[in-house]
Amino acid sequence: MIDYCAAVWRTRYFWWSLVTMDLRSRYHGSVLGLGWSLLNPILMTAVISTVFCQLFNQDFRSFAPFLLLGLAFWNYLTACVMEGCQSFQRGEAYIRQHPAPLAIYPLRIALGAMIHLLMTLAVVLVLVWIVKGFGNLPALVSLVPTLLTLLVLGWATAVCMGLINVLVNDTQYLIPVLMQVLFYLTPVMYPPELLRQKGLTLLQFNPLAAYLDMFRLPVLEGRLPGWEVLAVGMLTALAVASLAAAGLAVMQRRLVFYL
Amino acid sequence: MAFIELENVGLTFRVRQQGRFSIKEFLVASHKRKKRPGAMRVRALEGVDLRIREGERVGIIGHNGAGKSTLLKVLAGIYMPSEGRRTVEGNISSLFDLSLGFEPHATGRENIVYRGYLQGETPRSLAPKLEPIAEFSELGDHLDMPVRYYSSGMLVRLAFSIATAIEPEILIIDEVLAAGDLAFQSKARERMREMITKARLVVVVSHDLASLTELCDWLIWMDHGNVRATGPCEEIIAQYTQQSARPPALAA
Repeated sequence: MIDYCAAVWRTRYFWWSLVTMDLRSRYHGSVLGLGWSLLNPILMTAVISTVFCQLFNQDFRSFAPFLLLGLAFWNYLTACVMEGCQSFQRGEAYIRQHPAPLAIYPLRIALGAMIHLLMTLAVVLVLVWIVKGFGNLPALVSLVPTLLTLLVLGWATAVCMGLINVLVNDTQYLIPVLMQVLFYLTPVMYPPELLRQKGLTLLQFNPLAAYLDMFRLPVLEGRLPGWEVLAVGMLTALAVASLAAAGLAVMQRRLVFYL
Repeated sequence: MAFIELENVGLTFRVRQQGRFSIKEFLVASHKRKKRPGAMRVRALEGVDLRIREGERVGIIGHNGAGKSTLLKVLAGIYMPSEGRRTVEGNISSLFDLSLGFEPHATGRENIVYRGYLQGETPRSLAPKLEPIAEFSELGDHLDMPVRYYSSGMLVRLAFSIATAIEPEILIIDEVLAAGDLAFQSKARERMREMITKARLVVVVSHDLASLTELCDWLIWMDHGNVRATGPCEEIIAQYTQQSARPPALAA
């Protein structure tokens, strides 16, 4: 395990250069460049917030950052899941030529998605700063471990999805549907308190809700997330990471035959 | 101390006949009375014992499909043996499928950097090699163009220049002696020879028996996934050509 991580670290120049290339080539020749990746969540937020605020009398100034933050997290997760499916196929030419640790190909995906998340997060922070003034610094510092946890979660998820997709080709078609379902079961667009009020207690155990709290409490309310929220978030990341490690242990030697 | 050792190495591929496993296949197969043939097993290598020591230059010959390239990929660590043991000491550089593994949207120069990093270079070690690589490829201004606009010959030039710019301890080469156009080929041959003399251990697959005799100390003759014979170049080539000349009915 330690050897494996060391091998991933040794190839850091390789995967990092792929991450930066992905960013550059994705918006190559477009006017807005990286701005396009911000436009999607911002436009969604603007439209949904306007409609919701009209319909349900929400306060636009608090609902918009709430939603944008939720969408930022959701887009990160979706990218890790969907692009993760293709991670090994995209690295096929490298896998066939060089015995590098397989985990670097999903890592490329997760890091790329993380950079997009950071950009949206910066927009939210500035928005909140303008509307409410500068938040609580210790609470904001808690975002650092949160983001690290999320990177582990996204990387491990991309590894799992990549492996599953290599074995069962239908995964990439099935997953968008499941993600859509999951989107509505997760309090991205609605406040989690709503679930409690409506007695949908089961949905409160959705571990993804914990990640949303880990972002929203420090940024929007200036409070540190409670320990039980952190515990759920970290344990979930740990569980997925163990699954990914087990999958890689089995597949590291065989994957090349399935490509 | 560079060396490669294979002990009783065998390799079995599982090849699905209709691409990868799908849910449809699973559902349909469970309702069909007649079972469809599942994964096909291909026995690519069988009981291979090899000891290649520092300073040796070894060639591999054999018919198409005899397991030459598979053996190379096992030596390079890309395929792990299904059974047996592989022990390798020394860092390996391998040259296969030269035109694969480029990022199409990145320029030639950027691809030099990616490939260099994949082969274990660091920004510091790579910097002094960039110019010589660019020069050797003779691609000039085309290097600032995305490689998806390259012709296959240009890709081969670029790949060959990158792959041969480093000085590995162990060099594994699959049939790349015929790279690029005629002018580049003679240059590539020269570079190859230079690399082969510099590397501490070389394994090369080729159908070019004359070059092999010239480059290698001894040969491995692969046949149906088995090592049929090993020994001095002239001896093995004589046996190999004699067997190839025989009509197929008698050869079996």
